[in-house]
Amino acid sequence: MKGSRRILLWLVLALPAALMVGRFVSGEALAMDLYHPSGEMSVRLMVLALLPGPLADAFGPNRFLRAWLAIRRNLGVAAFGYAVLHLAIYAFDMQQLSAMLAELPIPGIWTGWFALLAMAIPAAISFDAAMRRLGRRWKTLQRLVYPAALLSLVHWLLLDWAWGPALVHLAPLVIAWLLRFTMRRGRFVSRSIA
Amino acid sequence: MTFPRSARFCALGLAALALGLGAPAQADGDVTCNAGPQSGWAKMSKLKKKAWLEEWKLLKMQVEGDCYEVYARTKEGQSIEAFFHPVTLKKLVVFRRGQEIYRAEGFTG
Repeated sequence: MKGSRRILLWLVLALPAALMVGRFVSGEALAMDLYHPSGEMSVRLMVLALLPGPLADAFGPNRFLRAWLAIRRNLGVAAFGYAVLHLAIYAFDMQQLSAMLAELPIPGIWTGWFALLAMAIPAAISFDAAMRRLGRRWKTLQRLVYPAALLSLVHWLLLDWAWGPALVHLAPLVIAWLLRFTMRRGRFVSRSIA
Repeated sequence: MTFPRSARFCALGLAALALGLGAPAQADGDVTCNAGPQSGWAKMSKLKKKAWLEEWKLLKMQVEGDCYEVYARTKEGQSIEAFFHPVTLKKLVVFRRGQEIYRAEGFTG
């Protein structure tokens, strides 16, 4: 991707974070008010990073999906960025490290920590040199995003007990996976481009 | 047939899902207080004293359904959400990160 386009993309990706930080700094929002916006943004970006793969497998590559695939790594790294912001907000809300550690055994909390850890590895090896050096293992390590996505959803459900919003985020993925599964078989696509 | 690594990762995730959901279900999204019309409710600001008596640091108060909801930190630093009856201002149920840690005797809402 061209440098200027990438800068533009990252400005767009960073905008919600800037708004959240602005609301917190101005005192308009408490740290606890930002749990939802930051966490949901992370999950949404994760879903956006996960969708083009199965869609490209299902429908074959076209210009739109190629462009989407081309920015996929950026979306994934941004998802991790919002997860880190989510953690920073948590630290601001809890104020004491001891209080954060005391919450670790709560399922709603440790699922979040593990989701962040699972995202950290694919995010850390997202640059070109790591991709070249790791070869086939790169793809395998990137698949850590699947447990990360599942853990994020469980983290969300256990804290909120509201199924609707969490499942709305999972639904497009399930549909894309089903499409890949059914349409790929019909076309005998043996190797995925995505 | 061999399972690709992605399938194994998924299995791992599903195991975590099962483990997480195996915890007893506590819903804090749908607490009902049977409080009647809002005209009969006590002032929400009276909860400040309640929070002070509990030695909580009050973060936020709001109406949630037909209950008063208080977000606070305990003196041990725990982050909690407490529901109070808007008429009697009785503490009904307290959640900590999605887990119920207190329930008033006889309260089923």
